[in-house]
Amino acid sequence: MKEAITPTPESAEKWEVQLRKGSLELAILAALWDDRLYGLEILRYLENSSELVVVEGTVYPLLNRLRTLGLVESEWVESDSGHPRKYYRLTAAGRQRALEMTRIWARFSASMTNLVAPLNREISKEMRKEKP
Amino acid sequence: MTLSAESQKTIDVYLAALRKQLRELMDEDANDIVEEIRTHILDKTSGDAATDTVSSTLAALGTPEELASRYRTDDLLKRAQSGRSFVLTVRSLLRWATLSFAGLVVFLVSLVGYCLGGGLVMLVAFKLIWPRNTGLWKDSGPGDHWMLSFSFSSGEPPHHGQELLGWWLLPICLILGSVLLFLTFRFGTWSIRKFWRPRAWRRA
Repeated sequence: MKEAITPTPESAEKWEVQLRKGSLELAILAALWDDRLYGLEILRYLENSSELVVVEGTVYPLLNRLRTLGLVESEWVESDSGHPRKYYRLTAAGRQRALEMTRIWARFSASMTNLVAPLNREISKEMRKEKP
Repeated sequence: MTLSAESQKTIDVYLAALRKQLRELMDEDANDIVEEIRTHILDKTSGDAATDTVSSTLAALGTPEELASRYRTDDLLKRAQSGRSFVLTVRSLLRWATLSFAGLVVFLVSLVGYCLGGGLVMLVAFKLIWPRNTGLWKDSGPGDHWMLSFSFSSGEPPHHGQELLGWWLLPICLILGSVLLFLTFRFGTWSIRKFWRPRAWRRA
């Protein structure tokens, strides 16, 4: 008989990391919703506005990919820092995609919240017990 | 904060390595990527808003090989999706096979298709070189069972039965082989377009 694999705390953490990573595309499109931004501004916006784990070496290839797909467009703009910066802005297709993804996200999020409601009640009970 | 000569050299070495790793891309694309990464490093390490050191900034970007690999995968995907180059499609399938199970399945199916199609086309060449020994044979086996088999060799004809196709083998194998090769190629490009999503979207 095979031995059961003992779940480790890392398993849940890894799942959380994957969940955050999977949201990165929508997060970038959302960051660009109001204004054009350059790479580092996008990274700082994501870090400040969310708990997303953003690895710099992933964001730039992803931006490049979004540009290839026609969801964002880019332009080099001179800056006061002494070097030009590559700014990204949403295209019409990118805005459309961002809205579609947000709808899907909202639907999925609502159904998952409903699904895990009993677990949330359990967590609330535990929290009440822990309070002195 | 102004960069020291040593830090500047570290950045230059990193970017040179990145550029080298991006040599498969078009020059314009590769140079654009390197310039953007240079800007990112400078923004994080020099000027009034500098927050990080050069080494920590480069570490956050990953090695030049890792960073270039993410760009290359996307570039390969982009060009393979256009479905014009056989070599590019095969390279993309190979790369995809190393990234996911779906890619491995598509690669194996394509491999079978290419082997069969290529085999049929090769039969044409064998028929031209060894006409008597290459063909579709109808042969009586043990117990009076009939057998159909392709056979080609440089020695004596391996079957004593009747060869069915004769020179018709040339157009039949050529057409079947070409169609199979074409369909396999189209299957590869269609699968790439339909199912391959860049890994970078899922990997941070």
